[in-house]
Amino acid sequence: MFLLALNRAILFALQSFWRNVWLSLATIFVIFLALLSVNFLIVVNVISNSAISAVKDRIDVSVYFKPEVRESKIAEIKTRLESLPQIKSIVYRSAEESLDTFKARHEGDSKIQDTLKELAGNPMGGTLIVQAKELKDYPEILKALDDPSYGDLIEEKNFDDNRLVINRINLIANSAKKVVLAISLVFVIIAILIIFNTVRIAIFTHQNEIAIMKLVGAGNWFIRMPFIFESILCGLLGCVVTVIFLYPLISGLQPYVASFFNGVNFDIIGYFNHNFITIFGSELIAIIFINIVSSGIAMGKYLNV
Amino acid sequence: MIHLVDVSKKFSDGAEALKNADLHIEPGEFVSIVGQSGSGKTTIVRLLISEIFPDKGKIVVGGWDITHIKKHHIPLLRRQIGVVFQDFKLLPKKTVFENVAFALQVAGAIRNRIETIVPQVLSIVDLSNKIDRYPQELSGGERQRVAIARALIHRPKVLLADEPTGNLDALNTKDIIDLLLKINEFGTTVVMVTHNKDTVNSLKRRVITLEDGLIVQDQKVGKYII
Repeated sequence: MFLLALNRAILFALQSFWRNVWLSLATIFVIFLALLSVNFLIVVNVISNSAISAVKDRIDVSVYFKPEVRESKIAEIKTRLESLPQIKSIVYRSAEESLDTFKARHEGDSKIQDTLKELAGNPMGGTLIVQAKELKDYPEILKALDDPSYGDLIEEKNFDDNRLVINRINLIANSAKKVVLAISLVFVIIAILIIFNTVRIAIFTHQNEIAIMKLVGAGNWFIRMPFIFESILCGLLGCVVTVIFLYPLISGLQPYVASFFNGVNFDIIGYFNHNFITIFGSELIAIIFINIVSSGIAMGKYLNV
Repeated sequence: MIHLVDVSKKFSDGAEALKNADLHIEPGEFVSIVGQSGSGKTTIVRLLISEIFPDKGKIVVGGWDITHIKKHHIPLLRRQIGVVFQDFKLLPKKTVFENVAFALQVAGAIRNRIETIVPQVLSIVDLSNKIDRYPQELSGGERQRVAIARALIHRPKVLLADEPTGNLDALNTKDIIDLLLKINEFGTTVVMVTHNKDTVNSLKRRVITLEDGLIVQDQKVGKYII
């Protein structure tokens, strides 16, 4: 009996979908637009996150040791620093490498080149280039470097130069996250309301049919089920149409975004491919849920016949 | 078959649609309920299908006391009473066959049974050649015949017809009345609410006259007297 009713509900849903094809297409189109705007926000989110993390990756702290500090001592400090949970990576640059880098950086400056020649030995010491996992971790790392036992070994730390930049980037990153979140929230609410109203209007156009069904002895669930299946079908097709349109749109957009943020590696399609099930699966579930709730609410008042 | 005992109904706007109505209809009767607009004729039909509920009194249909019927029992009641409306109330996006079959589908009838019974009933109302048409492709008389076929599909003991000829011309009116008489001959109790004086007078059957919610006359072989 249940299977018969289910079978009929699906059949009626398909019939109604096809026989009210323009209404169905309009509903699918609204779902498509809503999902497109939600996915566009995901794209914006991916771009802003990639841009922020690219900038973050370029931040580091260079710890310059005095020339007389032995490599073994620096290696010991490196090992101790690596035990800190905030550390992402530490690269050791030897005194020779530091000198080569310095020379290369000031290749055109004859005064510096002459001064270096006049000096008998290498005036540079080894350097540790420290990267933290998060921007907020740098003060903690610097605190560890302020250990008095290191005082005689360290020539200079360049973090003070970066402190302002790091603080600013941190501020921008946090603000960008909040703005994207707020816009996403507003868009999602608008999308929900639009879908909610579209389904309500679709049900409204069926109100006479619902009343007739009641008058010839149909039970509430016998009437509700086809509408629910029809709204699931619209949600499913809305998602499929979104996927079909979204991929070419992103493909077209990606080169422009990549050239705008020169040097930053954006792979929006890769992101969507990697998270396909999560993104579109959750969107489909959300759409179906909204459709079921809105059709349920909309039908409620027409079923009191 | 149908018993209304001291039934009153007042609507939210204060209008008293039915006042202390006592009405008893026996099985197999053909009864016309007549009266001016707002006299309470349609209220009786709506009470009998539990579309509305009485403020006072008792309603029994086919031995079933429906005065305080539970909501989930209403569909069962409606499957036992055939109803025909003035505006046909056909599902516009379903064909003639599907409209009639729908009344069986709601009751959980299997496909084979539907495919056997629906053509039989459509042949009784002479619509065998129009089973794939949509309601908007039919004339008013044909639409009403579809509605009658749908009402008959459960072989109901009672057929309620609320102004069944209200939207029809004289020729179609005669066809529909003849059909209702034929249905009555097979033993179905027919209760017809109507405005049509000529029809009521030609029937020479029981006539109940309503005025301002009161039953003012009940004649065994009556005439339209208002």
